[in-house]
Amino acid sequence: MRRLIRNKAAIVGGFIVFSLIIVAIGANWIAPYGYTEGHVRDNYLAPNSSHLMGCDFMGRDVLSRLIYGARVSLAAAFVGALTSFLIGVIYGLVSGFLGGRVDNMMMRFVDIMFAFPTLLLIILLMVYFKSTFSVIEPGTFRGFLSNLDRSMGGMLFIFIGIGITSWLGMARLIRGMTLSVREKEYMEAARAIGASRTRQVFRHIFPNILGPAIVSQALQIPGFILYEAFLSFIGLGVNPPTPSWGAMLNEGYIGMRSHFNLVLWPAVAISITLFAFNFLGDGVRDAFDPRQTR
Amino acid sequence: MFEFIVRRILWLIPVIFVVSVITFVLMHAVPGGPFDAEKALPQAIIDNLNAKYHLDDPLWKQYVDYMYGFIRFDLGPSISYRSRTVNDILAQQWPVTAMLGLASFAIALFGGIPLGLISAMKQNSLADYASMGISMLGLSVPNMALGPLLIWIFALRLKWFPVATWGSPIHVVLPAITLGTAYMASFARLTRASMLQVIREDYIQTARAKGVRQTTVMLKHALRNALIPVSTIAGPSFAGIMTGSMIVERIFAIPGIGKYYVTSVSNRDYPVIMATTLVFALAVVFMNMLVDVSYGILDPRIRYN
Repeated sequence: MRRLIRNKAAIVGGFIVFSLIIVAIGANWIAPYGYTEGHVRDNYLAPNSSHLMGCDFMGRDVLSRLIYGARVSLAAAFVGALTSFLIGVIYGLVSGFLGGRVDNMMMRFVDIMFAFPTLLLIILLMVYFKSTFSVIEPGTFRGFLSNLDRSMGGMLFIFIGIGITSWLGMARLIRGMTLSVREKEYMEAARAIGASRTRQVFRHIFPNILGPAIVSQALQIPGFILYEAFLSFIGLGVNPPTPSWGAMLNEGYIGMRSHFNLVLWPAVAISITLFAFNFLGDGVRDAFDPRQTR
Repeated sequence: MFEFIVRRILWLIPVIFVVSVITFVLMHAVPGGPFDAEKALPQAIIDNLNAKYHLDDPLWKQYVDYMYGFIRFDLGPSISYRSRTVNDILAQQWPVTAMLGLASFAIALFGGIPLGLISAMKQNSLADYASMGISMLGLSVPNMALGPLLIWIFALRLKWFPVATWGSPIHVVLPAITLGTAYMASFARLTRASMLQVIREDYIQTARAKGVRQTTVMLKHALRNALIPVSTIAGPSFAGIMTGSMIVERIFAIPGIGKYYVTSVSNRDYPVIMATTLVFALAVVFMNMLVDVSYGILDPRIRYN
C-alpha cells in the first residue's frame, strides 16, 4: 500500500478515477441538462455560453451527455470486471483443485477458446441478446430479463457479454496458482484434520491467491471500457438514448469535418479515463510485485 | 523443430471445429432469418428460398454440408449479396484487411521494439520518460478515437494524407498508424521492462567482462532473451489487430471484410458469417503458430522439450 502511494503516476490515475466516480454518481446534480433534453433547432450548435461543448445532432447538450456517459463506462468497467472475475475464479479454482482429467479437459477448453476471436463472439452474443430479449412479456423469465435490461439502459447484456468473453485469462491464472498452492504444507494439514473440500478451497486456497488475481483483473479494466465503447460504436451496445462515449463517437465522426467538437470531447473523455486506469493498474501491479527493480 | 511445427498445425483442426460449431449454433440461435428484412414475401416464395439455400434441412445436416464445402474451399453463396459467392467476397476483400493487419503489425513490431530497446538502454533519461509517456498515451487513446483525430489533423487540416478509402500505398498510412499505435505502445513497454530485467542478469555481466562490445551485448545477447516475453504477447496482439481492423475499416471507409462481418450478422447471412469468423480464426491461429515457432527459435529450451 505504501509503495502504491509513493508512485506519483498511480496517485494521479487514482485521483482521476475517483473524480470520475464522483461525477458518475452525482451526474444528476452536476450535468447542466438532462441527457435527452434537446430541441432539434439546436442541432450541431457550436460551443457557446449555455452549451459549453456544443450540441449533438439532436440538439442535446454534449457536456451533459458526456457526464452521464461516465456512468456507462464506469459501470462497464466495474461490473464487467466483477463478472469476469467471478467466472474466471470459480472455473480456475475448480479446475486447479480437482486436477487430473477434469483439469485437463477444462484447460483444453480454455486453450481452444483462446483462439476464438473474442470480439466476433461478443458481436454474435450481443445480436443474440438484443433480438431475443427485447420483448416485454411480463411473467416469463425472458420478460424479466428484458425489463431488467431496459431499466438499465441496455447495459445488462453488455455486462453478461463482457463476462462471458473475458474470463479465460483469469481462469488460467487462478488454475495455475491453485495448483501450486494445493501442494503446500498448510493444505496438507487442512486435509489431515479432515477439512471438507469446500472449506479447503474457500478458506485456505482462495485467500492466498487473491492478491495476484485482483492485480490481474485491475489490469484488464481498461479493456472492458474499450469493449463497451467498441460495442456502442458499432451500434450493439447501450440502447439509445442512453449516452455512451463510444456511441457519441459513432454519431460524431460522420460530421467530423464541420463539427469536430462532437468527436473531440468523447475522445478526450475516453482517453483520460483509460489513461487513469492504466496508470492506476500499473501502480497496483508494481506495488504487489515482490521483485522491485527500482 | 519440425515435429513442433507439425504439432502446432494439427492443433488447427480442433480449434476450427470448436469455433465453427459455436459460431454455427449461435448464428442459428439468433431469431430471425435472412429473408425477414425485405418486403413481406408470400410464404410460398420464402419456402422456395429456404429450399434453395438448404435452410430447411435439419441443422446438423446444414453444418455438415457447410464444413464439407469449407474443406473443399467452396464457401457457398452469399444470401444477401445475390450476385457474389462468398469466395468472391473473400477474394476481393480479404487481401485489403490482411494488408491493413500486416502493416499495423509491422508498425507495432518494428516501431515498438526499438522504442523499448532505446528506452531501456538509456534508462531514466529524458528519452526514456518521453517514449514511455508517449507509449502510455498510445495505449490510452483507443483506435476509434485516434482515427478521427488523425484524420482531422493530418488529412483535413494539413492535407498530407488522403482522408479515407483505399487504393495506393499512401492510403495505408493513417489506418495502419491508428490500428498499430496501441500495440506499438504495449510492445515498447514490455520490451523495455524485459530488457531492464535481462540487463541485470549475470551472463550479461560476463559478456561485458569478456570484453564484448556494448552494442553486441545489447543486441545479440540481451535483446534475444528480452524478446521472449514479447513474443508471447505477439499472438494476442495480432488477434487484437484483426478485430480492431473492423473499426478502422469503418472509420476510413476501407473495403475490407470487417464491415461484412457486422452487416452479415444483422442480415443473418449465414454463409458469410461462418466464412468471416472462420477466416479470422484461421488467421489468428496461424499467426499464433508463427509466434510459437519464433518463440522456439528465441528460446532453445522450448525446442528441446
